[in-house]
Amino acid sequence: MQPSRPLDDRGSENDRTNGWYVEDGARLMERVRARDVDAFEQLYDGYHRLVFGIALRIASDATLAEDVTQSIFLTLWSAPEAFRDGNFAAWLSRVTRNRTLDAVRSRANRPTEEIPADLPAEASTDTAVFANIDAQRVRGALSVLNEEQRTPIELGFFGGITHEEIARRTGIPLGTIKTRIRTGLRRMRETLSEAVSR
Amino acid sequence: MSLPDDREALLDLVAAYALGTLPRSEQGLVAALILSDPQARREYDELRATANLVGLSAEEPVDSARAARMKERLMASVRADASSPRRAPVSATRTSAMWGTTLAAAAAVVFALVSVIQNFGLRSDLHDAQTRVATLQTRIDADRRTVELDRRMLTDLTASDAKRYTVAYGTVVTRGANVYLALASLPPLPRGKVYQAWTLARGAKAVAPSVTFSPSQSGITLVPIPEDAGNLAAVAVSVEPEGGSRQPTTKPAFVQPLS
Repeated sequence: MQPSRPLDDRGSENDRTNGWYVEDGARLMERVRARDVDAFEQLYDGYHRLVFGIALRIASDATLAEDVTQSIFLTLWSAPEAFRDGNFAAWLSRVTRNRTLDAVRSRANRPTEEIPADLPAEASTDTAVFANIDAQRVRGALSVLNEEQRTPIELGFFGGITHEEIARRTGIPLGTIKTRIRTGLRRMRETLSEAVSR
Repeated sequence: MSLPDDREALLDLVAAYALGTLPRSEQGLVAALILSDPQARREYDELRATANLVGLSAEEPVDSARAARMKERLMASVRADASSPRRAPVSATRTSAMWGTTLAAAAAVVFALVSVIQNFGLRSDLHDAQTRVATLQTRIDADRRTVELDRRMLTDLTASDAKRYTVAYGTVVTRGANVYLALASLPPLPRGKVYQAWTLARGAKAVAPSVTFSPSQSGITLVPIPEDAGNLAAVAVSVEPEGGSRQPTTKPAFVQPLS
């Protein structure tokens, strides 16, 4: 685990990418629940790059990404109980992805197709193990994957499309796409597990 | 859609569900599999945690002018809300752009309707339009009820506070007043036969007939039981003639007391 820092220590850009901010997200949310504006500001400082980055990657539209970022942070303020526990950055990442896909589909007047309901996690072991995973490590884990594994995973997450659509777009058989998604996620998980155990 | 027999292919579907690439039509079956199969559950928990991290790779610096503008607007809303005595939802200043699409569409519909009336000015047209609107509204309401029922069922089945009882061929799930049978690989029925659920009310000495059902082609069957879980002491399932029976005529596939 990364050492905790005082919550009033905003940290520099380097600090933020060294992983501590991921751990502190959950703690900041506890203070946001108590309507602590300073904590909320720190939360924004620490996470707006993540939210905006995901929204921009999905929407390819800076104005829409800005709207989504605004909307998500307002929701964090008005309904902080939506986050329960675990890896805040990972949770926020999924929320941002889903909200942006909704916004993009709404703009294109297309019905919401994917975004399955999230089954509750059985145990929090994973979220604890990955509590300190940061963007750099995730990029590293994705770069370990070969193109064949990485493409369907990124298309699935950021494109919000079904594996059937991924197969159509890439011209690769559906069964192969499904297997590559699983083996890719498995490999990514192994890489991240090794990274946190070092 | 039916689930594949091959174990690895099944786990591939679990991975797709974890990433969010599974078509909606397949989600219910895979969710049921995850709930009833410990290995699938483990796979889902592990891969979902990993898939959620993929988004972190998109983090990138925001240009300082944009970041300052976003923060200023956001903090102004939050500070205003924090200083208000009651906790009211904060309204987004820029999310109006998203609502704008919906409002524009609604305005377009109203404008179109008004135009039609103005152009033709016939009461009969208006009446026809009203009838069509009413028909469409009825359909929308029915679809909405179905979606709400499906959503409630999925929420109940996956809720951490649901009670689950392992029975032959699957699980009985109760949550609040709701009872569901989540059954997998039920034996195929002879022609003219159906499965029938039975409920035993608290304090009752005999079971009462409940819904009848047939196994889905996928092999996984989700059956909401209409009776209130709070009033039930047990549920059972037996094979009965089509149309159901007043009392069981065959040995039950299972009888499950509900605590």
